[in-house]
Order: sequence, then C-alpha cells, then structure tokens
Amino acid sequence: MSVKKLLSGEDLTRRRFLELGLKSGVVMAAAPSLMGNILDGRGTWSGYKPQTVDPAMLSRVIVKALASGGDFADVYVEDRISRSILMEENKFKSGVFGISKGAGVRVLSGDKTGYAYTEEITEDSMLRAAETASAIARGGKPMGPVGVLRREIRPSYITVDIPLEEAADEKRLEIVRRAHDAALAYDPRIRMASVSYYDEVRGRTIATSEGTLLSDELPLIFFIVQALGVGPNGSHMGRERLSRHSGLEIFDEVRPEDVARACARESVAMLEAREAPAGKMDIVMQNGWGGVLVHEAVGHPLEADNISRKTGAFYGRQGRKVASDVFTMVDSGAIPNARGTTNFDDEGTAMKNNVLIKDGVLQRYLTDVLSARQIGADRTGNGRRESFRCIPIPRMTNTFIDRGKDDPADILASTKSGIYIQSLSGGSVDPTSGIFNFTCREAYLIENGRKTAPVKGATLIGNCLDIIMNVDAVGSDLDFGPGICGKGGQSAEVTAGQPTLRLRGMTVGGSKAR
Amino acid sequence: MADYKNMIGELAGKCLKQGADEAEIYLQTERRMSIDIRNGDIETVEEAASSGLGIRVFVKKRMGFASSNDLGPAALDKAVSKAVSFARIMTEDPSNMLPARAGQTSVGRLYDPELAGVPLDRKIELAKAVEKLAMKDPRITKSDGARYSQAEGEVYIANSNGLLSSYKSSFCSLGVSVLAEKGEQRSSGGNSCSRRFFAELDTPEKIAEKAARKAWQMLDPRRVKTQKAPVIFDRDVSPSLIEGIISALNGESVLQGTSFLAGKIGRRIAVGPFTLTDDGTVPGGPASAPFDDEGVPISRHVFVDGGVLKGFMYNTAAALRAGTKSTGNASRSGYASLPGIGIHNFHMAAGEMKLDDIIAGTARGILVKELTGYGINPVNGNFSGGVSGFWIENGRLVHPVMGLTVAGSADEILNGMDAIADDPDTSRALAAPSLRIRELQIGGE
Repeated sequence: MSVKKLLSGEDLTRRRFLELGLKSGVVMAAAPSLMGNILDGRGTWSGYKPQTVDPAMLSRVIVKALASGGDFADVYVEDRISRSILMEENKFKSGVFGISKGAGVRVLSGDKTGYAYTEEITEDSMLRAAETASAIARGGKPMGPVGVLRREIRPSYITVDIPLEEAADEKRLEIVRRAHDAALAYDPRIRMASVSYYDEVRGRTIATSEGTLLSDELPLIFFIVQALGVGPNGSHMGRERLSRHSGLEIFDEVRPEDVARACARESVAMLEAREAPAGKMDIVMQNGWGGVLVHEAVGHPLEADNISRKTGAFYGRQGRKVASDVFTMVDSGAIPNARGTTNFDDEGTAMKNNVLIKDGVLQRYLTDVLSARQIGADRTGNGRRESFRCIPIPRMTNTFIDRGKDDPADILASTKSGIYIQSLSGGSVDPTSGIFNFTCREAYLIENGRKTAPVKGATLIGNCLDIIMNVDAVGSDLDFGPGICGKGGQSAEVTAGQPTLRLRGMTVGGSKAR
Repeated sequence: MADYKNMIGELAGKCLKQGADEAEIYLQTERRMSIDIRNGDIETVEEAASSGLGIRVFVKKRMGFASSNDLGPAALDKAVSKAVSFARIMTEDPSNMLPARAGQTSVGRLYDPELAGVPLDRKIELAKAVEKLAMKDPRITKSDGARYSQAEGEVYIANSNGLLSSYKSSFCSLGVSVLAEKGEQRSSGGNSCSRRFFAELDTPEKIAEKAARKAWQMLDPRRVKTQKAPVIFDRDVSPSLIEGIISALNGESVLQGTSFLAGKIGRRIAVGPFTLTDDGTVPGGPASAPFDDEGVPISRHVFVDGGVLKGFMYNTAAALRAGTKSTGNASRSGYASLPGIGIHNFHMAAGEMKLDDIIAGTARGILVKELTGYGINPVNGNFSGGVSGFWIENGRLVHPVMGLTVAGSADEILNGMDAIADDPDTSRALAAPSLRIRELQIGGE
C-alpha cells in the first residue's frame, strides 16, 4: 500500500466490497467434490524463474522467529506474475505486466501477533524479518523444539487445461476483442464498451512451526465487460464478470461473446428504468451473485475474529436459532476451480465444506489459526491474506445459501407486490451492529406476481439478525457470481451464491413515494 | 540507500534501446509500521520496508506497462521487455504522450524528519491511552481496538523527455473503535486522526471522545415513516456526496460519455454558493505534492465556481485528447498501476451558517451522521444511500434513527442545497461542510 492510499484514512469498522460484481452465468457444482489432479512443485512462468525456497532455510527462519518466545510461527513466501489488458472505445489501450514477490514472517505469542515482511527472498532478509516479528514475544520463554518441516502433497481443487504461462498474449487480446465487438453489436444504443482482462499465477510456499510445508501455484482469471447504454431518458453502465481459478479453457466453456451480451442486455434493459419506490416491501432475488447480500449481512459477522473479540453481532449465538427454517448457509473453499477456492488456505489449513447455518440454526464460525485457538474451535480453512504484505485473517471463500425446495417461478408468482432484484452491485456491513446496505444493479417492480417495469438502482438496508429470519422461500436453482471482498485493508477473491429467494419486509431506498 | 535517481534514469534509457520511443519510470519506496492495541495490551505489531517500480513505454504511440518489486537486473530486464512487447500489440493512440520536462511546485511540510525518531514506546502509549480514554464513558462496554500507524516514503519519476523528480513524504495516524451495548443492542463508533507530522496529531482525548460519542449516541433508535423531508448531511458524511461529483468531473469519463456533467461547461449546475476547489499545493496538506503521478507540477484549480461548472480534471493523455492542458491530476494507486485521474486536497467551500442554526431552522427532517452505499452515480446522477443519524422536530434533535434510506438525484442535491455550514474539516484530503438539502425521499416504515 502506498503512503498516499494510507492517507485517505483507514476505516476501522466497515467491511466493504471494493468493486461491484455480477452473477457470472457460470453454473458450478454445488457439492464440492475432490478433483484427482495433483499440483506440486513450481514451474517457470513466462521464462522468469521464481526463486526456489530451501526447506532447511525456512526451518532456520522459524527457529529465529521463536528465539525470544512465542508459541507459533510461520513463513509465507509468495511469487506472483500478472497480466492485464484493457480494451475500450475500440482501442487496445494498455497491456500491463506485473512481477511481485516477497516473504512474511509471523510470530504468535498468546493473543499477540508480530509480523514483518521482506521483498528479498534471501536468508539474511528473512532472518531479519523473523527477528523483527519476534520482538512481540520478547520476555517470553523460548519455545521447545520446532516441528520438523515435512513437505506434504495434497489433492488439488484446481485443474488447468491451457496453462496461462504458455498462452500467447495475442490469444488474450483475441478474447478481449471478441467480447468488445459483441457488446457493441448487441444493440445500437450501446455506445461504448470497456473490456478488462486480468490473469495471474500466484506461487505460494507455507512453512509453519507445526511442521507443515506446502507449495502450490494458483492460476486466476478475472474478466470484466462493461457497456454504456444511452437512450432518450438517460444512460446506464452495465457490467458482467467472469472469474475462476483456471487456465484459458474457461473461455471455451463460457464464450467471451456470452459475457458481453449479458452485460449489454442489462445496459439496454435499464435505460427505461423509472424511479424506485421507497419504504418496506417484499423482495425476490434472482439466483447467483445476489448471495453477496448474505456474504455481507451474515458471513462477515460470522468471521471468528469478531467472535473472539466478543464484538460480532452473532457472538454467543452458536447452537441457537438465528434464521428461518428454510435457511442453510455454507462456506466452501473446495468448490472445483471457483474464484474463492484454494488448495489450502494461506496458513496451510485444508479447505473444507463448512456449514455455517443449518435449517436456521447457527453451527460454526469461520476461523484462522489465531481465532480458532482463541474461541476453542477447529480451523476451518479460512485464514487468508491478500499478499505477503498482510497477516492472515478469517475470510470467506465461496459463500452461498444452499438450495431449497421451492420452484423459482412459484416464488415470483406468489409475491403480490415488491421488487425483483436480478442483480446487486455491492454493499457493506458493520459487523458489530449487523446493519448492512446494498445497491441494486438491475431491478424490476413486482406487480401481481409478475416482473414489470425496471427501476433505478436503489439501496437496500437492514439488520443481519432480522433479515435471515425473514427469508420465507428458497428456490432450487443455486448459482454463483465472482467478487472482490475488502476487509481490514485487504482484498480477497470470493464468490457469492444463492438460489432464487424471497425476503419479506426489507427497506428499499427508492426516490419515489408509493 | 540505493541511488534510485541514477537507476531509473538508466532504466528509461534501456527501454529506448529495447525499441520504445518514449519511456517513463515511476519508483516508490516506503517504510511502514503499525501497532494494534486491544484491552490495554499489544495485539499486533507490523513492520516492513518495500520498494517497487512501474515502467510505461510507448512504441509508435502504443502503450505498454510493467511493474516489479524485484529490483534485481533479471526481473527488470524481464519487465522492460514485457512492457515493450505489450506496447507493440496495442492500438495506436495519438494522445499517448509523456509530459515535458518541467519544474516542480514548491510545497512545504510533506515530510516529518522527527517521525521515525519518536520512540516506539511513546507510540504504544498513545494507542493505549486513546483506547483507555474511549472506554472511560460508562455507556461504552467493549473496545474494538486502537491503532497507531505510520509510513514514510519517497516517489521518483524519470521520463525520456528528461524529466527527473522526487519527493519525500510521511504520514501517521491514531484511531480507536469502541462499542456501546444496551440489552441486545450493539452500536459501534470509531474515529481516527491522520497527519503528516507526529506533533500535529490530535490529542488522544479528542479522538477518543468522538469515537465514544459516535457509539453511544445511536443507542435506542426509533423508526420513522417513509416520507419526503429536508435532509442535513453532517460534515463527516457530506464528502461522500461529493465523491460522485468528483467521478463525474473526471476528464476521461467525460470523453467516454460516462459523466452526467459532460457538455455542461460554463453552465450553472448547482446553487450559487457551491464551489469546488482542488489544491495540491497546501503546505502540509494530506494530499499535497510538488508534482502529480506523471511528474506534472501541481497547482490550484477551481472546477465549480459559484455553482457554474468551470472545467474537468485531466492527466496528460486525457488533456491532449480533449484539446487542453493537464490539470496535474494524474494519479496512481501505486507503482504497479497506470496513471489515471484523481484528486489532491479537494474541498467544497464553507458557507457562513452554524450547523446548530441550520438544525434549529429545520421544522422536521433528519441529520445524517452516517451514509453508506455508492452515493451519487457519476454516469446518470442517481442517488440512493443508507443513513443513520438523528430525527429533527421543531428545530431540535429528538431521537436517533437507523436503518433509513435517502434517495434523489444529483440535480435535486446540487440545486436543492439551501443551507451550508462553516465547518469543513480541511485537515482531510476530501472535505465538505455540513449542508442541508431542501427535500429528499426518505425510506423507512
């Protein structure tokens, strides 16, 4: 983070989606299954060889980190190669290549954390970082023998057919061009298209004082199409996103043109939007990215750092009924190739299918190493970090409301009046009070059980404890969408998902009295 | 300390040798440290030094870019060759130009030479003190942590037009977040102070008092009905309203047709007293600098004057395309990013009224203390947000309100502003006074 960014002031309480997101149109398996592919070792990326890390050296760094006390230490070594391409207004505007690498050393001593990082992956620099991080435990007792590092090979949830590092840049340009042209061709009211393509390969090595030693490489693609629609009554920027941990084969499955057309459809549909009504009303949310509502409203307050600090809205509610009977919510970091999936979290814990709320009853919180210890719970595989510059904190992965029994068409038909939300932008939550807000991206009036006129982007607000009690219908059509989640100054790749569902009595911030 | 000026000058030369017609290197170094305190004890200490650079090249007016935080020769060779090879396959654009060699504005007090020398223990004590003081009020039940953080760094820019500039800056911040609880109710409040100079940080008393007040004052909120009413935005939230206007003032968005202000230069867009100024030359200003993120000297610009739109914000490329000159608003989110367009110290001019008098003159309405959501949409001017604050009856604050929405349009906000206070917090990069909008739609029961 730059000095300038820090200057803008740090928001101490809010969790926020950094960017808007949309349902991807990609249907993923809801039940996580293990893929057989084994990923280990580290390849070469684009001819630029990352430094390989010697396990004996990592052991010496961990010993140094615990030399003045402490009860846990880990080293996280990261190497990231990224590419991004922007096409807008009929031009390939920029091609951007990035190299980023570094190593972080962390020491835990009771509830305290010491952290330091270096961008030079040399023994000297890492030992210096270990010494800095160890200051937190000063005066404590030196820990006994440190676990011997044993390299583990784990099954991978991420498969690749066309590796990013082997694909020519021209191939990426072609994908971008196809989407750009398809968006413009969709309708004459589309005046401008902007297509942004990003991919990266993130290499990780994690070594801990418990003896864990893991390495892997995570490919990631993030593809965003935006289109400007202009009509006699105004303008609307539509947006559609596609993201997965995958190679370029993703574009054989979901064609760039399909992403572009979905975006252009929204741009045109919303040109006729009228003022949204204000006040309390029933909401039907279409399947997919709308799950971001519970990501914010329920997921963040269930992250165990809030719980160990006794500040979270769900503190003390484990085992209690917190939602309606039809409400089951899951966080799973093991859905094959999904944007929120990794083979293990950034502390080396295996990914799991964590049922957070089952039939309305709160089951568990999302933990990292530190918070699991503090609240006496298992590690759930949610210790994540943005990069080597950050300490791991409890984060969501792929979070969704599980499928229910209702027919999506019946849910709409049985709703007399209200708002049908096809997609949400993003929102934020205060995890203490549980008050959250969202902005609609594409929404329609519901009149007599039918979707009618489009309405302008209104804010939805509510309290997390109320909202999940008021879910009264859950469809069978679970779907997901990709997003970027921000917390404590760190961003993380996530997906949010849900089937079509209905929420009774939600406050809608339209500009028109009913 | 490495000789970065020499190094980036040579690197720009290397880009030309590899086939670039023009090249620019932007290098950033930083040291930062933070201390988190919870319940009187240290929770986390983080410390690090980092550096990285971005290489922007044009080949036949086509743009390529590469960044690296590995400053070793192998990584930099790779970065240069990738920037050049990316440029070759982009589209030609005559507005791809680098700024000419120019001087820099003299801006004082950006760097506190004393900051690093203040003992760590003193900083820990400050963070402990602000937490303890915020917990003093009996209505406050829990701490959500206090934090002291600091950073200092240097920016260097070199380009093939002979531009070679650098400056140092520093920053420190002290903040705390607490909870007030009453029965099943939980309410959080946080406050922080950021300064370039350590000695200028607000006292822990002042920071703590506001954090605690923000938490307890929202206890026992009541509901109100959906209605139209006057809305007063406190100075803590009015800057969020201005953010949407800033996006609409972005010269590149205007060129792309994604700004509701496009085509309105010289026209009245707001009430008479509404004036927006961006000034990156204020000594010690939180977003002041001698030059922008592509090396263009910074000056002061008035974008809206007395309600009339005067101009848009530009970097070099957008200005060239619009047929005008850069306003010195090139902005990067870091060394790994291309320069876009952003603000320095961007302020809405103060009015003459006292906030208390504005409240006293409001028969019925809401004083907004917190605003969430995306604010004004820069493309079409729609506005909708979640709010909490106080309900006003007969000129007095009668009870807290939470979970409401307010909505309208940029036009209703800019032309419906009927009272402006004298209170903008100009210590912030983006500041606006408390202000009242004649009428907006409020969503509630």
